[in-house]
Amino acid sequence: MTVRESLRGEPQILAMGGGGFTMEPDNPALDDFALSLVRVPEPRILFLPTASGDPTAQITSFYARFARRASATHLSLFRRHGSARSLEDIVLEQDVIYVGGGSMRNLLAIWRAHELDGLLVEAWRRGIVLAGLSAGAMCWFSGGVTRSSGPLEVIGGLGLLPGSFTVHADGEPERLPVWLAAVRSGELPGGWAADDGVGLLFHGTRMTRVVTSRPGTAALRVDLVAGELVRHRIEPELLGAGPGGPGSQPVPDDIRELRELRQAMRRN
Amino acid sequence: MNTGRPPQIVAFGGGGFSMEAGNPLLDDYVLGLAERERPKVCFVPTASGDADHYVVRFYRTFSTRCETSHVSLFRRDRGDGAVEGDLEAHLLRQDVIYVGGGSVVSLLGAWRAHGLDRVLKQAWRRGVVLCGLSAGSLCWFQEAVTAFHGAPTVVRGLGLLPHSNCVHYDGEPERREEYRRFVGDGVTPGYAADDGAALHFVGRDLRRVVSSRPRARAFRVEPRKGEVVEEQLPVSYLGDAQLDLAVA
Repeated sequence: MTVRESLRGEPQILAMGGGGFTMEPDNPALDDFALSLVRVPEPRILFLPTASGDPTAQITSFYARFARRASATHLSLFRRHGSARSLEDIVLEQDVIYVGGGSMRNLLAIWRAHELDGLLVEAWRRGIVLAGLSAGAMCWFSGGVTRSSGPLEVIGGLGLLPGSFTVHADGEPERLPVWLAAVRSGELPGGWAADDGVGLLFHGTRMTRVVTSRPGTAALRVDLVAGELVRHRIEPELLGAGPGGPGSQPVPDDIRELRELRQAMRRN
Repeated sequence: MNTGRPPQIVAFGGGGFSMEAGNPLLDDYVLGLAERERPKVCFVPTASGDADHYVVRFYRTFSTRCETSHVSLFRRDRGDGAVEGDLEAHLLRQDVIYVGGGSVVSLLGAWRAHGLDRVLKQAWRRGVVLCGLSAGSLCWFQEAVTAFHGAPTVVRGLGLLPHSNCVHYDGEPERREEYRRFVGDGVTPGYAADDGAALHFVGRDLRRVVSSRPRARAFRVEPRKGEVVEEQLPVSYLGDAQLDLAVA
């Protein structure tokens, strides 16, 4: 076992209703929180822009956010990446895998065509942190609500996390009623709705924290109980507000120092 | 709607507007098959992830002389000028469906998820001319050799053409070896094409090979008496003024 592998913990998923570098170029709070979930000094983060078809602008934003914070790479499934390395080798050496938004239908279909879905499950099992927003967040659950084919519709996910998830609850309010109707009819299991900026953290399949990069936002837990929808509002922790800064679990001084040293060495 | 045309596929080993700027020979050949003054041509850039620059180049090339449109499977939520709503009806109305290059594995995954595999088969049967390069060539065949993500592997295509296909045959020397080895190991016999060569199928049979470059080649690759034979096919260079395709 490598040092990197020994520092991995139990499976973690950070599911964001929206936010991070693609939606909040001036607010790194959620992305810093994602990095704070790993214990290795110089984390490796891999971006999967599959759901949007690997657009250059999204990839550029990813590097702008992470290049100085981590050892950052991306995996394209549409362009030649000039590497003969297997997807398995690329995926399983990461500390964080970050999935962008876009078409959830395309995301899952293309992952399955490349047999990447099974590798991501294996990565999760091994303690590699899975993070993502929008389609890149709903994909880990039993299902969600997508516009992949135009109109809003229910779609199944990979099912690592029990329950359903719907995103952009404040930014795209028309999603919520479609999701609530699906939970009421039993088409989707109960689950969570998250505003833009809100991230749900799961350890294993248990939700342990709800954080946000934006004041005034919230998450919603909804269950079907005896034929009725039962709603429960969850107030998130505001990131960057407390003394610990983003993540509110501060990075230990020695690790921070080592990160800075390595970054300085890379720049030279 | 009956187009009056038989099922046709033009599979480029490489070439056309996205690879041969300034050389319209292969694209012109395909437009000629439409037998319309102003053909309806729809671009399907799925294999590139609907890359914007690719879509723009398509419109630049075709919009002055064709009725142009494109299908985006990644931006259906945003209405970015691509075909919205009933994709099936739109595709079945076309004279030509032009499929761009990229990853054939991603292409097939996305098409199947949106039911486009079924629609394209129906379009082909009705005489909509299907064409494309690279991934847009491989997709129509029973089996295809792709080296897009590392070492060459064989993938299952839509199977409209009961052959195998290998593109960019002149591009990478190991492709040629690998393709012959695959066919020796039981992959469906088939056709290989260089950049600039295009295989024109009518129904399931190869009608002719045309090219936009004088030296572009194409091959039939099949096992004969225990060994894999690569037979070079006659190629009609489209830049040759003497060429009379009517008698070819």
